[in-house]
Amino acid sequence: MRRCTECAVRIEGNWSRCPLCGSHLVGHPSPDPLPSVPLRFSRRRLLRILTVISLVLVAISFVVQLWLGHRPAEFGAVRSVWLGVCTMWLVALMALRGRRDLARSTLTLLVLAALVCTYWDYLTGWHRWSLTFAVPIMCGCAIIALVILEHVMRLEVGEHALYSALTVLLGIVPILFLLLGWVTTPVPSAICVVLALLSLALLQLERAAEVRDELAKKLHV
Amino acid sequence: MSRRTWVRLDNASNIFLAARTESDTKVFRLSAEMDAEVDPGVLQEALDAVFELYPLYRAVLRRGVFWYYLQDSDLRPVVEPERRPSCAPIYQDGRRTLLFRVIHHRRRISLEVFHALSDGTGAMWFLTDLLVEYARRRYPADAAGAAGAPGTTDGAETPRAPAAAAAGDSPSSHALETDSFAHYFRRRRPTAFEEAFAEAAAPAALTLAEKTVRAAGSTGGIPTSASPAPSDAVPAGPARRTRIHRVRGTRTPDDRTRAVELTMPTAQLLALSKAAGASPTMYLTALFMDAVRESSGGLGRARTLSASVPVNLRQFFPSTSARNFFATIRVEHTFSPDGSDGRDGSVGPDGPDSPEAVARALEAEFRPQASAAALAPKVARFIRVERSPLLRIVPRPLKDLILGWLNAASNRHLSLAVSNLGRLRLPEPAASHVGRVLFQVSAARPQFCAISHGEQMTVTFTSPFTQTGHVRAFARSLSARGIDVSVTAARVTEAELAEVAP
Repeated sequence: MRRCTECAVRIEGNWSRCPLCGSHLVGHPSPDPLPSVPLRFSRRRLLRILTVISLVLVAISFVVQLWLGHRPAEFGAVRSVWLGVCTMWLVALMALRGRRDLARSTLTLLVLAALVCTYWDYLTGWHRWSLTFAVPIMCGCAIIALVILEHVMRLEVGEHALYSALTVLLGIVPILFLLLGWVTTPVPSAICVVLALLSLALLQLERAAEVRDELAKKLHV
Repeated sequence: MSRRTWVRLDNASNIFLAARTESDTKVFRLSAEMDAEVDPGVLQEALDAVFELYPLYRAVLRRGVFWYYLQDSDLRPVVEPERRPSCAPIYQDGRRTLLFRVIHHRRRISLEVFHALSDGTGAMWFLTDLLVEYARRRYPADAAGAAGAPGTTDGAETPRAPAAAAAGDSPSSHALETDSFAHYFRRRRPTAFEEAFAEAAAPAALTLAEKTVRAAGSTGGIPTSASPAPSDAVPAGPARRTRIHRVRGTRTPDDRTRAVELTMPTAQLLALSKAAGASPTMYLTALFMDAVRESSGGLGRARTLSASVPVNLRQFFPSTSARNFFATIRVEHTFSPDGSDGRDGSVGPDGPDSPEAVARALEAEFRPQASAAALAPKVARFIRVERSPLLRIVPRPLKDLILGWLNAASNRHLSLAVSNLGRLRLPEPAASHVGRVLFQVSAARPQFCAISHGEQMTVTFTSPFTQTGHVRAFARSLSARGIDVSVTAARVTEAELAEVAP
């Protein structure tokens, strides 16, 4: 083992200078009990900063769109592309972020896409295509997607049941659109609501306990 | 499919989560040096066997709306060669991974644990069982001898809480866990929780209350935890009028922990601390303060050094739960003004600032605080805070911010942290094949962790900074007192690593 005469201590490993004082060591090196781990720099922090910046830009874009007016005449090709790029980026980020938890990510994307569509509809003059078509169709697809997920992938039952339940509850919301007369044609909303009610009945029969359990876990105070 | 067992996180653990950073990962490491190169296959078998006994270690960390919780999982741990710096991050937001890892390098077996899962004492039990299982498989001849010895039943004859010994009829005594904080300090116990745990065999239902307690006490425990953070989080403690010296330095290039291990004969150190009239922990703390004073060039204007010391609450409130159960005690010493530094003899052998005198003073400050009577109200207060309706309904991300902020505020009143796990007593056949045992934690400030086994005591310094001045001063003052010190350091800076680059 080597020795530092300045510090009067033995130094394990093959240091040529004392790790404490930097003076030269005497004696023979011994095997180092600790590995020498190369420096490693994580890009995580950089990615996080870039993500936050892009989200801020997206949020600003949405606000600016409102300020630019919301009549069809004011909404040209440039604004469509601009909004499209923002939306694509937002959806891509959210999908990437939620890739480890598909049920939850499906729900998040559904809410996000529904809100963006409604806003877009408002900006282009409120023709109600969002509530008539986009939202009910997306809700229906999300419910079907969750059913497929459950059968195709090994998922944590409790959690999947919780997010399925929340998605199904959202699927019932288009009934409001029908009742309040916010739609131009009732078919998509009607299909979505029927699908949601069926799924809800099924969930209630099969998974009520899991959903309750999961809620107790997530909401314990 | 069966539903997963889950438990609340205790209070201390919540603070660990809030206070975790890139450089202070809230991970601690216990290592044992064997007498021969580690056989990874045998180690994996041993780990599989021990893993069965500790349901707590199956837990993954999940996020709820208001609190984190631990949930049972089907994951299996895999033994890995050591490829990362010590105390590398374990928990990453939202990922379901086990909260510990077992690694090996040459003759060393290391157990790294995320502090939200367990404290030093709990991890010591796991390591003890792991070493016994490993030695029994690796040296079957010895194991046969040990099994024949009187008083041992079957395989797991660990002296104390380790699972095999404690479990008795139930094999899962360290199951998802009993929250000892809740057990001793909460009036109303959460029923759903408890039932769940009772099913899981018992151990550590962590309640929020517990969390608070831990938070309060985390610094003080003897054996536990490395991180002082929790204790600080609560507005307790001495008046803060004095200026607390804070150690500054250059951060390591990739935020890894700077670790330097000092190994010395236990007997020599005990003799010194006895001669000084202080416990080994306080004696080492005094030497540490003196080393910081010396390496900082005399402290400047902020002349008070404070240290947080975790105390294992199990010694006052018996518990076999492997979950966090500690409190922290804060001690401080104010050095004489600059002008007199070393010139008026204040730091000389008989001066009021000599390590021996400081050790006695710290001992007098520490001793009255380290009792069941003194700790109980402190812990109970933390639990009350944790169980306060207002805090409970704050959403978790906001709680993290608040707790992180409180923690940072309390960190301003701490210069150092020390943690002494005491003596590790290993049963045969492990004892005769294990040399020294080491303990270290990720650090937000200069810190040391001590543990002893057999004839050897190790004091491992960790710090977020590259500077080793305080370790040099510490090692020199030990060797000046006739103690035979050997130093092991991990390479941290570019220059140090370049020396060994292929």
